[in-house]
Amino acid sequence: MSLCAPEVGIVLDDLWKSFDGGASYAVQAVSLTIHRGETLVLLGSSGCGKTTTLKMINRLVEPTRGEVWIDGEPARTIDKVALRRRIGYVFQGVGLFPHMTVLENAAIVLRLLGYSRAEREERAARMLALVGLAPEVYGARYPSELSGGQQQRVGVARALASDPEYLLMDEPFGALDAITRESLQDELLRLKQHLRKTIVFVTHDLFEAFRLGDRIAVMHQGRIEQVGAPAELLRQPATPFVRELLARPLRMMERLLNIQQVGAVDGMD
Amino acid sequence: MEWIEFVASRAGELQQKCGEHLMLTVVSTLLAVLLGVPAGILARRLHWLRATVLFVSNVVQTVPSLAMLALLLPLLGIGVVPAMTALTLYALLPIVRNTLVGLQTIPPTVLEAADGLGFTRRQRLLWVELPLILPVLIAGVRTAAVIGVGIATLSAFIGAGGLGDFINRGLALNNTRLVLLGAVPAALLAILIDQLFSLVEQALTPGRKPATLRRRVVVYVSTLAILSVGWSVLPHLAASPAAPRALIRIGTKNFTEQLIIGEVIAQWLEQTTDLRVERRFNLGGTIICHEALVRGDIDLYVEYTGTGLTAILKLPPVSDPQQALTRVRDAYRQQFDLHWLQPLGFNNTYALAVRESDAQRNGWERISDLVASAPRLRAGFTPEFRERPDGYPGLVRAYGLEFGAVRDMDPSLMYRAVAQGAVDVISAFATDGRILAYRLRVLHDDRRYFPPYQAVPVVRGEVLRRHPELRDALEQLANRIDDAAMQRLNYEVDERGRLPHEVAREWLQQFR
Repeated sequence: MSLCAPEVGIVLDDLWKSFDGGASYAVQAVSLTIHRGETLVLLGSSGCGKTTTLKMINRLVEPTRGEVWIDGEPARTIDKVALRRRIGYVFQGVGLFPHMTVLENAAIVLRLLGYSRAEREERAARMLALVGLAPEVYGARYPSELSGGQQQRVGVARALASDPEYLLMDEPFGALDAITRESLQDELLRLKQHLRKTIVFVTHDLFEAFRLGDRIAVMHQGRIEQVGAPAELLRQPATPFVRELLARPLRMMERLLNIQQVGAVDGMD
Repeated sequence: MEWIEFVASRAGELQQKCGEHLMLTVVSTLLAVLLGVPAGILARRLHWLRATVLFVSNVVQTVPSLAMLALLLPLLGIGVVPAMTALTLYALLPIVRNTLVGLQTIPPTVLEAADGLGFTRRQRLLWVELPLILPVLIAGVRTAAVIGVGIATLSAFIGAGGLGDFINRGLALNNTRLVLLGAVPAALLAILIDQLFSLVEQALTPGRKPATLRRRVVVYVSTLAILSVGWSVLPHLAASPAAPRALIRIGTKNFTEQLIIGEVIAQWLEQTTDLRVERRFNLGGTIICHEALVRGDIDLYVEYTGTGLTAILKLPPVSDPQQALTRVRDAYRQQFDLHWLQPLGFNNTYALAVRESDAQRNGWERISDLVASAPRLRAGFTPEFRERPDGYPGLVRAYGLEFGAVRDMDPSLMYRAVAQGAVDVISAFATDGRILAYRLRVLHDDRRYFPPYQAVPVVRGEVLRRHPELRDALEQLANRIDDAAMQRLNYEVDERGRLPHEVAREWLQQFR
């Protein structure tokens, strides 16, 4: 099975997931290949199965049917804990540990992996700097003393500290205001260039998906509607759902432009 | 000043009782933590267990403390073990509940992060969940410990020691100072523990804190805990393994006379035999002493024939002393393999007492002597004596004695009232030290109306067979302490505030 060769990265092979013993399926027949070094965005509205799909990769959720392959190995056969330590995980809730300092939070995976204190502090400090938080300023603070955006930066630093090949990001910027979200997106783009990680990114935000994704998988009601590069989706929407999904923001833009023109005319009077 | 002297005279004992009290509280709280925290952790994972654990610990909480001790008595007997068990059971609820509630209130995002980053369950528990619930947990331990200090005062009833000994003794003797000697330090101890834990709680609440403070508090508290446990446990541990000589455990009830007689017997055995003696004094009453004797938690205590007949055997009182003794002796041997030896001499029964001066003036020696002047006399009786069929009602019938006026009086007031002339006759206990203190005379019960309450050592048969020298030693004390002697000994302790073991030692010196 050439798809499952190590160089491919992550392969989702016909994944199904039911939470109610087969009465309904949250994820249906999802097959997807994530190549090394690319950022794949799972795009869809809430309840479409994108988060469930993501969580089947690091086995926070076990598939009802189908197989996840990581570096040519079935994820099922890899010890859960070991698997999760190999894969960075960032999610909307952030989930920083409130009783640990920022530096301790950033270093926690290294502690799990048994690094010495000196080494993990050194690396965690480097990661904080990388995500734009000066370690000497923020390192000794507690999460409650940071803004939402700063907290999520620590979340990213924490996921990156052990230098994992893969990074799973589940709507990491969903709870942030538009301006903070944009600056974090910029940061992530910069990190991508710098670190060459393989990223699976879940979002419901079309613009975020187009901005960050090398390829986008549009999900709807548990199924993948279309997978492709952003330009491909725009040029050739494969299903009516995808066409409608992309058409809606364009219509909104048109409406905005109209208002602007009418406003301009009013302004002349 | 008097107060300071009083406390100073009891300083040694006070320190010992404080130590015992602290040990009971600290050890039972620690046990409850060791049991309760895992129970709370398991209860969160297992739904069926959650309901059970909360139900059981809630039910335990509603059992009154004395009832709990009574329930444990047939199972665990007397002493430190059942007291500790009861205290631990009470401490469980706040600890289990706070563990459970703490775990349930951890934000789910924190747990998801821990799982997503690859924590094992153990690591998640030890590094994330327990540190996060620590302040809540400590609050639970705080509640448990403070409740524990209070309930531990009751363990004196079953011979586990602690400050309750003072309270117990004080209540039995109607001695407020003794009650306060137990109650005030217990209250102070509770406040101290509460404050200490409040400090710990603050130090452990997550957030910015000088790290040294936190560490200091932890070190301080654990040292204190270890020291207090060591201080009170070590002597026991050191004492018990090296025991070449056989051990005789002597029990007593919780009033002065019993404590003095217990000391007399204990010191006598120490002086005249090779037996080692353990004092398990101040047990909460007849039933507790009896149960302890039957179970073998103690080997002997001094019981009164009348009490054995009515309270234990549930038989009607017998007025002939010899017959009463024979009856309890036979029944005890058959039913319990317990042996009543020879009476010590005094008979702590009800009696009528009058002012010595009146007695001399009127030539009163026997109760019969009162009959003629009774209608002119005022009597002060305890409500119990007035009502009991073997009290005043029977007295009227036996002697044809009808007093001019009868007043209900508290036992502690009665003696003073007769001494000061407020009444002329009172119902006394024949060996009460206050008879001497207030210069009263006990009238001879010439019609043998009052049932005999002769004091007799009761010993386990098994122990007597193993140590025949025990019987020999105790028989030497037979009929050596009469009512007057016992009054004198009680007087020394109750009225002059001396310690039972001193009084007992002096008596033995003069006896030999």
